Amino acid sequence: MTSAIEAKGLVKRVTSGEGAEALTILSGLELQIQAGESVAIVGSSGSGKTTLLSLLAGLDTPSAGSIRLDGQTLEDKSEDARAALRAGRVGFVFQSFQLLNGFTALENVMLPAELAGRRNARELAVAALESVGLGARLSHYPQQLSGGEQQRVALARAFAAEPKILFADEPTGNLDTATGARIIDLLFALNRERGATLVLVTHDAQLAARCGRTLRLSGGRLDG
Amino acid sequence: MAESTALKAPPLALAESAPTLAGRPWRHALRSLARGWRSGRLLILGFAIALAVASVGSVGLFTERVRLALERQSGEALGADALLGSRDPLPAALRAQLEALGLRTAAVTVFPSVAVAGDYTSLVSVKAVEAGYPLRGELRIAREPFGTPQAAPGVPLRGEAWVDLRVLQELGIDPGASLQLGRLQLKASALIAFEPDRGGGFSDLAPRLMINADDLPESGLLTLGSRASYNLLLAGSAEQIAAAQQIQLAPTQKFETPRDARRELSSALDRAGLFLDIAGLAAALLAAAAVALTARGHGASLRDEVALLKTLGARRRFLLQSLSLQLLLLGLVAGLVGALVALLGQAVIGALLSEAMKVELPAPPLAPLLSAYVLGLVMLLGFALPPVLAAVRTPPLRVLARELSAGPSRWVPVLALLAVVGLLLWQTGAPDLAGIVLVGAALACGALALLAWLMVRALAPLRRRGGSAWRFGLANVARRQAATVGQVVALGLALLALLLISVVRQDLLESWRDKLPADIPNQFLINIQSEQVEPLKTFFRERGFGELVLWPMARGRLVALNGQPVSEESFDDPETRRWINREFNLSWTDHFGADNELLSGEWWDASAQGQPWLSADDYAVKRLKLKLGDTLGLDIAGQIYTLTVKNTRKVSWDSFKPNFFLVTPPGTLEAAPRQWLTSFRLEPQQRAVLSELVRTFPNVTALDLEAAIQQVRGIVDRVVRAVEFVFLFALLAGLLVLLAAIDGTRGERARETALLRALGARSSTLLAGLLAEYALLGLLAGLVAAAAAQGVAWGLAAGVFDIPYGPRPLLWLLGALAGTALVTALGWLSMRRVLQTPPRAVLG
Repeated sequence: MTSAIEAKGLVKRVTSGEGAEALTILSGLELQIQAGESVAIVGSSGSGKTTLLSLLAGLDTPSAGSIRLDGQTLEDKSEDARAALRAGRVGFVFQSFQLLNGFTALENVMLPAELAGRRNARELAVAALESVGLGARLSHYPQQLSGGEQQRVALARAFAAEPKILFADEPTGNLDTATGARIIDLLFALNRERGATLVLVTHDAQLAARCGRTLRLSGGRLDG
Repeated sequence: MAESTALKAPPLALAESAPTLAGRPWRHALRSLARGWRSGRLLILGFAIALAVASVGSVGLFTERVRLALERQSGEALGADALLGSRDPLPAALRAQLEALGLRTAAVTVFPSVAVAGDYTSLVSVKAVEAGYPLRGELRIAREPFGTPQAAPGVPLRGEAWVDLRVLQELGIDPGASLQLGRLQLKASALIAFEPDRGGGFSDLAPRLMINADDLPESGLLTLGSRASYNLLLAGSAEQIAAAQQIQLAPTQKFETPRDARRELSSALDRAGLFLDIAGLAAALLAAAAVALTARGHGASLRDEVALLKTLGARRRFLLQSLSLQLLLLGLVAGLVGALVALLGQAVIGALLSEAMKVELPAPPLAPLLSAYVLGLVMLLGFALPPVLAAVRTPPLRVLARELSAGPSRWVPVLALLAVVGLLLWQTGAPDLAGIVLVGAALACGALALLAWLMVRALAPLRRRGGSAWRFGLANVARRQAATVGQVVALGLALLALLLISVVRQDLLESWRDKLPADIPNQFLINIQSEQVEPLKTFFRERGFGELVLWPMARGRLVALNGQPVSEESFDDPETRRWINREFNLSWTDHFGADNELLSGEWWDASAQGQPWLSADDYAVKRLKLKLGDTLGLDIAGQIYTLTVKNTRKVSWDSFKPNFFLVTPPGTLEAAPRQWLTSFRLEPQQRAVLSELVRTFPNVTALDLEAAIQQVRGIVDRVVRAVEFVFLFALLAGLLVLLAAIDGTRGERARETALLRALGARSSTLLAGLLAEYALLGLLAGLVAAAAAQGVAWGLAAGVFDIPYGPRPLLWLLGALAGTALVTALGWLSMRRVLQTPPRAVLG
């Protein structure tokens, strides 16, 4: 089995301002995730879960160490090249949904496929929205949808471009328990169907237990 | 809300698709344009651009039309669009050639001669005119002395003469009597009341005697070598005139096009142009500020979108293309709307003015419209593009860490500064003036910021007083000190513009109107001899006209400039040649007229008595390219006087008071022969005084300027309305700036408000708090603006318009009230929706 994600000696240091002492968030972290695997990254607040996710997805660059995403190294790539690598390969689900308010549900879901240059972005998006049960809400704007519905639109967007890797950052953080549970069921069902690699960041042990593997982040390193 | 989704995983994989790169930025641009439109921000941006194009375009179009019309109107001073003059009779072939171009022609021959009636003779300037004369303007005649003038029905019939009153006076005959001119026996059938192409000063011509050109051969007056001017008046389109100018002429022939012949009109219109330019500039600068402010908010709101799109795989180039395209589309459409409004706007201004100017305004040329359109796009590039470019630099990580945004871009201030400088250069056309405005604006912003900061500081002790809403609002103002100062400056600038526009405009325009008071002198008396000065004063005193002020006047010819002999041939400019060719009127005084403005040098006092000094009007300075210290050799009745230019002045010819191009100190021209002139106010019911005057002083000539005054007054009235119309654009632009400044902080306020509501604050409390904050901001901005408006108005009045202006306490009250009311109302409009949105939608 090939590695979908691989991190070696990953270090992330941040400084809060000029002259301030650097804060080390990740210190020599090692990680390997196989294609098709579902991995939960857990840890207490401020342990660096989200930082790790941002580095693995190429949204940020490490202070030291290397990352391979879908077989390609990230640290030697420009922001543009990393974006191109994500396009069509990587999907995201965020805690705060991150839908564009002025775009309809359909337009929001079409975005990744369009950016990946798919000619049939619309068909893909319609199918994805139908798959999350929002076939009747294509032309609704985010403000016209409930929180759960917005997250389902976000799920549809994450899967519409048929990504190989899906990153989810506290996907139920903004939802009530019942709605959150339904969203998670949907997330795992879709992921099973597509066979995508899932990296899920959460502080919820129950949610983490549904993944194939759980990694705990503490002191800037992973145990698990 | 409960979810009720069937948990199935439907087939998603459709046919594999090929990438399509072309057209994607377009599609995204269009889609996000529609999105931005719905959010209202792009609507304001588009509106600001449209407004800038509309205001600059309509002022530009109108000014260009007026310039064309003025050229045409000054054509009246020639009685034609152009004139072909010669010392010899013009060949028929040349006339045929000109007519073949489509030009209308009328021959006019002018020469001196003597008219005789009985024992009396009069030296006259004969003008033989063909049917069709004048080709431009209107000849007006009266059937009896001081009778009501009316438009002449063509030209004098054969055997008839139309004459100046002076001819009848000198010949001692009544209208309708006959006189002899050469071999012709003519009936003096009418008096000339107004001859459009008389030109020159009041007194440099012998009285006119106008005859029909067909009578000329019979008169036997013109023989070979006679001293006559043979002129062919030409009228036609600008293209036809330009074609005529290409014709090769003999050395004795010259082609003249009229320029700036009516000083009192162009003086009034110069000032009108200044008002219009300032109004246009104010509107353009305000619209630019609105564009900049709105674009800043637009850029800020793009950050989340850019971060998300980058996360989803969008490259910077794609974002740059689609967001620039979006702006360009917006600019093109908004510019088009603005251009259409400009066309309508200038039509309104044109309609207001063409009647007053008694001239048909030529069709609007499209060049100013095009440049206004380009200006709109430049504004877009300079003010709106930089914040968008800055937004494109937002890191994708912002999707996870909201506080992240790109650092400040070096391009934003550089592009904005370039755009402002370009805009000013464009509008003023003068680098030094643009520099002054720029430095002035920077100083004004600095002063506003300092004032605002001091006021915010002064508020601190009030934070513990008043109700909770007031404390909440006050705390907001004090807490965000830097942001508050910035906002007060932006709001203050907009209010400053609004105050200047609404109040100061009124003051300035009224002061201008007052320059033509109802009791302005409308009659000029010329040819007064020295021994008549006292009797004339007595004559008017006895009839209740008060004390007359008389001006001495000598006539001289320029013969040398800086020691070098000069003649007509020494100058290339036709207008200078024409001016040089005749005698100047000079006067002397040590009193500096209120309608004069000193341009350089120093005015003299009584101690300058007898000094060989000269004060030159701007017109003479320009014609002869004079500077201080230059010497002019003037031949006055055979004696050469060498005079040194001691100062230069600009005369407001629209004051209708006696003024002279060249003035010396008293005593300098003591030996020169002189006449006197004076002016006074004559009411319509007093016209009998004129007949009495002419009987008592037969050599004195009265000139009636009432019609000319009415024309200038009409223009001033119409210009005031036109300027008010243009100021309407500036007013709208100012309101837009206010809205943009308030709307700029909507996002931040929305989050804060949502947070407070989530914490349990009541909507009504929050609304009251926000209103208190806006009221306070408005009050501060209004006071700051009133202080600045007072200063700017005083500066404009004293420095630019040369009209008196004093402190206006009402301005301060109005500034404070208007600031509070406008900012509170606009703040409420902007925040109304936010307060109705559930906190989760904002905080989520």
